Amino acid sequence: MNLSRPDRSARLDALAAAYALGTLGPRARRRLDRLGQRDPVVAAALRQWEWRLAALADGSPGITPSPRVWEGIRSRLGLTAADSAPGSASTPWWSSLGLWRGLAAAGFALAFALAISLLSPRERPFESVVVVLAGPDAKPALIATAERGSRFLTVKAVGDLAIPRDRALELWMLPDGRPPQSMGLVPATGIDRVALRAPAGVALQNIPALAISLEPPGGSTTGAPTGPVLYTGRVERTY
Amino acid sequence: MPTSETDRSARLADLLARTALSDQAAFAELYRLAAPHLYGVALRILREPALAEDLLQEAFVNVWHHAGSYNSAKAKPQTWLTSIVRNRCLDQLRRREPDTVTLTRDDDEPEMELEGMGPTPEELLLSGADANSVRSCIEGLEGGQRQAIALAFVQGLSHAELAEHLRQPLGTVKSWVRRGLERLKKCLDAAGFAI
Repeated sequence: MNLSRPDRSARLDALAAAYALGTLGPRARRRLDRLGQRDPVVAAALRQWEWRLAALADGSPGITPSPRVWEGIRSRLGLTAADSAPGSASTPWWSSLGLWRGLAAAGFALAFALAISLLSPRERPFESVVVVLAGPDAKPALIATAERGSRFLTVKAVGDLAIPRDRALELWMLPDGRPPQSMGLVPATGIDRVALRAPAGVALQNIPALAISLEPPGGSTTGAPTGPVLYTGRVERTY
Repeated sequence: MPTSETDRSARLADLLARTALSDQAAFAELYRLAAPHLYGVALRILREPALAEDLLQEAFVNVWHHAGSYNSAKAKPQTWLTSIVRNRCLDQLRRREPDTVTLTRDDDEPEMELEGMGPTPEELLLSGADANSVRSCIEGLEGGQRQAIALAFVQGLSHAELAEHLRQPLGTVKSWVRRGLERLKKCLDAAGFAI
């Protein structure tokens, strides 16, 4: 059954609606789930109906769950500091403690990139800046490297990053205690070079970390990240 | 859209972005803000507090790992979160064999408060629809269509359960649901509500 054929769009729409409403039987539900996993047209129909119906519940009354639930979440994720402390709400995200914890979790990703750069065929002692940008799962998503004296940062996407077609990735410097500064757009696949205002060793001298956010095509127009920050990485130096 | 709702959306989107950075305080705040709504959705579908609590826990563990995949251009943060919870609830409901799903529950179960004393599914569906355009779309459905969709949506009833509950032939109920959804889609899309 090829549901993504244009002449079957009405059928797909009806199935997706029943799926999202929940009236589809268990077998049909599983089958549609499987189809959605390999067919983007089916997946899009399912998401659209899920969101259309989920929006109907936006204002429905809430019920406070037992504190057990949050305790369970905390212990399952091994969260340490987080209690319901809304006091941190005024802290900008780039200076939040969580960012630095996340970066620490990405430590193994750094080892991975250093190993790559150490395997460089050139045997001369090199002085490089290396940043491994990883998401919350700590898996490397992009690697940014530059020779200390270079005015270019080479950014390589590890594999194909699943970015919506109408979005772009923007790279940011995260200076200590100051707002992020844009470094420009970076690719979701392949390799690209980002121009630096000064040699890498100077441009990134007081920059402890970089981050990548999801932005409209052409990048953020506000001078600050507007979309979710997808990847972060600590700036490491091999000198 | 009222400003308070816009503010809430912006706040939730910000918290999701920071959760994607493994910011634990932001995640805690996200939970504080979003959990009651999501728990309400789950409890009305699953009808058992223990199941709904487990599901909410699963959903938030999932949100912690996948907050970065939230795309503000495609859905409001609460809609995105609700769809995660609803989808998991429906998976769980439909995984059970049809004959093990029962509409009757023990009298000592606390969730009994949800029924009888509380609003009907139709009232819940209408009260849940924040925007006027959405509410008028729901009100524009015929009686049977609205009732069947409300029961399925709010309480997660299957076609067979709907037929039993509404004392109507299965075929009638199925066609109410199908036509009601078609009509709802047309109306919502015309109101510019669709994504």
